[in-house]
Amino acid sequence: MTSKIHALLLALVAAVISTAAMAAGPRYQVEVDGLACPFCAYGIEKQLGNIQGVKNLETDIEAGRVIVTMEEGHTLDESRAELAVDRAGFTLGGFEPLDAPGTTHDQ
Amino acid sequence: MINDEGALFMTPCRRKTASGPRLLAVVALVVSSLAQAAPQTFNTALPVAEGNLVLREQFLYRKADDDTSPARRDLRVNGAITVLGYGLTRDLALFGALPYLDKELDLDGPGGQRIERSSRGLGDARLFARYTAFKDDAPGRTFRIAPFFGVEAPTRDDDERDRFGRLPQPLQSGSGSWDPFGGVILTYQTLTYQLDAQFAYQANTEANDFEFGDEARLDGSFQYRLWPRKLGGGVPGFLYGVLEANLIHQEKHEINGRRDADSGGTQLLLSPGLQYVTRRWIIEGIIQLPTAQDVNGTALEDDVITRVGFRINF
Repeated sequence: MTSKIHALLLALVAAVISTAAMAAGPRYQVEVDGLACPFCAYGIEKQLGNIQGVKNLETDIEAGRVIVTMEEGHTLDESRAELAVDRAGFTLGGFEPLDAPGTTHDQ
Repeated sequence: MINDEGALFMTPCRRKTASGPRLLAVVALVVSSLAQAAPQTFNTALPVAEGNLVLREQFLYRKADDDTSPARRDLRVNGAITVLGYGLTRDLALFGALPYLDKELDLDGPGGQRIERSSRGLGDARLFARYTAFKDDAPGRTFRIAPFFGVEAPTRDDDERDRFGRLPQPLQSGSGSWDPFGGVILTYQTLTYQLDAQFAYQANTEANDFEFGDEARLDGSFQYRLWPRKLGGGVPGFLYGVLEANLIHQEKHEINGRRDADSGGTQLLLSPGLQYVTRRWIIEGIIQLPTAQDVNGTALEDDVITRVGFRINF
């Protein structure tokens, strides 16, 4: 009985994860030059988070980059990312789509 | 004509004539050094993102009781400075600072008895703008130069009294004068350490027949990341060890257009401290130790200044 419950829970968790993964849109790597302390990271995240369609942000301060995950059906173009980084007071060092499918709707 | 500050201490005991003005240096330095944003004893050139709000609250304790004059003055200042910064654009940030200070001065009265004079309340507001004129960003580091200009506005009462009469000007909550100031800040920051340097000048103006001496200061700060020793992804909190230095020179004050020989001087303060920095908040503390003091006449020398506080990103 216990093993059946475990299996059921595992299936449920897997279903939730796969659903969430499917709902996520393309991801982009935004490199931020000048980012060198945690307090400054908040400004970057706030500006990128204000872009319509942004679902999740993962900042790696050592690498100086932010992985931006868009909602399904949204994309992020380089000029919009550059504007956000600029407004935060930093410089865009690079922009790279990681696994962007051929979605058509722009933010 | 003797102004209120002089009259207070001149009658009936002449030896305390300059006690009030001498204190100006102490209190003026408290307000000016606290009213800015960062590192801990002065400003920084780091950005306030466009549309972002930064709140800084800094609590102060200052003591100056090493008085060799017959008045045996003992000054204690407790207070808090609230600073709000707003990123108007990418390069332009606006700041407002409002101190709340509790000042107590003990001294020997005319008859030799110990008396206490004090004031408590909000002080003059400081408003200033900082513009990032130059920046050089690279992966994991940045260098910035930012001039700033502002004014200390006479927003508070400058005619407070107690049972002895009008409080000496240094104990007043407000100065009554419009005092412009400006300067430039340089910041070099990497993931491992940060260096800041600032030059600032404040031109004080006259009010109530009294004029604080102009103040020039040179400040430096070195912050070194103590923890985590190695970065492993994400945005961990940083614990910095801090060492700051302040070289401050203040001209003599003027009373009724005449320079007061027992005011102003030069101070060098060295300050060890700690700072813990996260995305949204910072907690910090520092102890300012006077390393060298060359004050004019019998102006009071500082003993110690302690500051603790926090910052919040909105």
